Amino acid sequence: MTSMLERSSGRRQDAAPPGAGRAGLTFRQRLSRWDVRYSPYAYVAPFFLLFGLVGLFPLGYTFVVSLNNWNLLTGPGEWVGFKNYAVELADPLFWNSVFNTFSIFLLSAIPQLIAAIVIAAVLDQNLRAKTFWRISVILPYVVTPVAVTLIFSSMFNEKYGLINNLLESFHLPGVLWKTDVLPSHLAIATMVNWRWTGYNALILLAAMQAVPKELHESAAIDGAGAVRRFFSITVPGIRPTIIFVIITATIGGLQIFTEPKLFDAASATPGGAQRQYQTTVLYLWDLAFNRESFGKASAVAWILFLIIVVIGLLNFLLSRSIAGAETRVSRRRTRRRLATIGAPSPATGAAIAAAPEETHR
Amino acid sequence: MKSRALRRVAFVAATASTAALVLAGCAGGGGDSSSGDSNEKVTLTVTTFGTMGFDKLYTQYEKEHPNVTIKATNIDTGDNALTDWQTKQAAGSGLPDVQAVEEGWLSKVMQVSSSFVDLRDYGADKIKDRWVPWKLKQATDKDGRIIGYGTDIGPEGLCYNSKLFAAAGLPTDRAAVAEYFGGANATWDKFFEIGKQYHDKTGKAWYDQSGFVWNSMVNQLPEGYYTSDGKLNVKDNADLKARWALLAQGAADGLSSNQTQWDWGKGKAFTDGSFATFVCPGWMLGVVKGQVEAGGGSSATGWDFADVFPGGAANWGGSFLTVPTTSQHKKQAAALAQWLTDQKSQVAAFQAAGTFPSTTAAQADPGVTGPSDLTKFFNDAPLGEILAKRAVGVVAQYKGPDDSVIQSQVFGPAVKSIDGGKANGQQAWDQAMKLLDQLVVNK
Repeated sequence: MTSMLERSSGRRQDAAPPGAGRAGLTFRQRLSRWDVRYSPYAYVAPFFLLFGLVGLFPLGYTFVVSLNNWNLLTGPGEWVGFKNYAVELADPLFWNSVFNTFSIFLLSAIPQLIAAIVIAAVLDQNLRAKTFWRISVILPYVVTPVAVTLIFSSMFNEKYGLINNLLESFHLPGVLWKTDVLPSHLAIATMVNWRWTGYNALILLAAMQAVPKELHESAAIDGAGAVRRFFSITVPGIRPTIIFVIITATIGGLQIFTEPKLFDAASATPGGAQRQYQTTVLYLWDLAFNRESFGKASAVAWILFLIIVVIGLLNFLLSRSIAGAETRVSRRRTRRRLATIGAPSPATGAAIAAAPEETHR
Repeated sequence: MKSRALRRVAFVAATASTAALVLAGCAGGGGDSSSGDSNEKVTLTVTTFGTMGFDKLYTQYEKEHPNVTIKATNIDTGDNALTDWQTKQAAGSGLPDVQAVEEGWLSKVMQVSSSFVDLRDYGADKIKDRWVPWKLKQATDKDGRIIGYGTDIGPEGLCYNSKLFAAAGLPTDRAAVAEYFGGANATWDKFFEIGKQYHDKTGKAWYDQSGFVWNSMVNQLPEGYYTSDGKLNVKDNADLKARWALLAQGAADGLSSNQTQWDWGKGKAFTDGSFATFVCPGWMLGVVKGQVEAGGGSSATGWDFADVFPGGAANWGGSFLTVPTTSQHKKQAAALAQWLTDQKSQVAAFQAAGTFPSTTAAQADPGVTGPSDLTKFFNDAPLGEILAKRAVGVVAQYKGPDDSVIQSQVFGPAVKSIDGGKANGQQAWDQAMKLLDQLVVNK
């Protein structure tokens, strides 16, 4: 957004001088000057208005609510300052939800990214019916999460589920997918992966296609195999995109709600009877709508917001330093190359010779 | 990950809401829809939950009142309906014209009773003798405003599977079963004792899961989690502790099938012999029928209903129809609520879903005492007669403000622990007390 603003403002200054010096402008001229100067703001305004309305205002209002002893039904209570934050940070149930969130996030994000890169690499090959494969990969993303969860929830059912039935037919013990901590996290991570791997794969595929083919070809000539090329050319080439995918996956992963909420839809305690897969968002929802403590729920929302901001910043710094390193490397390379071609080669000479001819035509 | 989706949604929403703002600007000055004309076309929204048996009644009401269109929403469970109501109540909008309210969360409703219409303004005084007195008392707030019309009550009897009983050598005839469990003097000790015999003989569980049994055990006490004057009374409550010990022993003995509440393997557990008994308030009869049919069973599966309940008379649940003050058609909504809870409708609802009437006239109606689809399903058991007998001696227990949280979030996990064999009775009780402190006492 900012970069666009800068660019347009720069252009505006370029455009302004011709009319600026003169005193007697016609209305039309003035109008067109205003147009140039102010309409960009009008164009971007709807976004900021709506962002203020549905983003910034709720954020601020949530903060105000979090400082009150606010009951869901009876409304604002007394002002308690940061007490809600202190209480929540000392509540083991809150930390349990944080643990669950990170556990599910790690279990989903890591395999998801690895699988997405591999799928993208496969799709990047010369396949028949390319579009078919690409659409197939994105298909799970189209299905609504609620439907996904209901289907998976039924598959992971402990007594009548497909997966335990399969296990039992191989004389293996059934897994308590909804009772035990790790299996339930795995099950939820599976839903998340099923839904998001293809989406990430397509983003990574787009980045892979932007990696110059010449690099691959010359590496192949130098005798590098497919695997070597993948790790030494493809992966470094798509590093910024990988970082983008990681950042968005982190933000999304920390906000998982639908999957754990509906995994055992009838459970009176959302996130399992023992809160074994209650994520932080689910915890705050429970706090607000079952336990009626809107103030504390808002405090949790803010704590979660800050956690995400911190992680987002870490990601940003990391990506900037990597990107910075890359530009430094490429600049050094260019300089080195320029030095080696200091004397005009036959080819450049020919090009220069060809130039005048062109102007003749 | 969701942020990407959200961003996309936000964009669409942004576009849409910009358009909506513009359109709203143009459309400003539309008429107020709540004018007094009784023939004016109105659409009434109704939110119910579980199986309340209203579906056919809506159609009938629309036929009798051509100017009324009913838009009904039914939410799967009472817990989810509570969430739905709370969310909308907190938001101050989105509530229907007629909102069904469950006894279990009536205490929450009473915290904000002024946001419900006082039905005395629409003739509640004239009809208040319809209901059994304690039902009316529940729906009256501390200022004497009547905010709800009672639909059903939940007197509890015992559902049992006669085929499984036969296989285990237990009596199968419902009168003999009632006698076998102790008749009017049936106790929980006896219930678990027979269960143990059954389990020893068949190796199968006795009831579906401990949650509903615990519910019934608590609900039938004169005082539950709160004393009648509204004080929290769990920790040193000897009655609760004694019953908890029984329940935990039962689970340890393998009497609980550890099913998922309200899921039961999409009904399969009701048809594959997983358990032989089930605690059945009136409204649960419709649920059982639905589950058995969803699980591929029929009346031949063998479910029956006996005039007996361990520990004596018990009531679980029962609902009210309220009219939130946000309704644009209060008069019509109150009229619909009144119609849906009159004798004729309560009889029809009972026949459709087994919700036992809260009005005395409907309880004695031949439509309730006589045969129906539901009685056919339960091996021609005279459901109405049995439930009327089961309702005798029921006392409405005081429900405190956190009753539903205690039931579901404090004892819910403990019940799961004993059912799953993760903890013994004492450990699970301690776990529940810890949660009680965290969720209720120090909230």
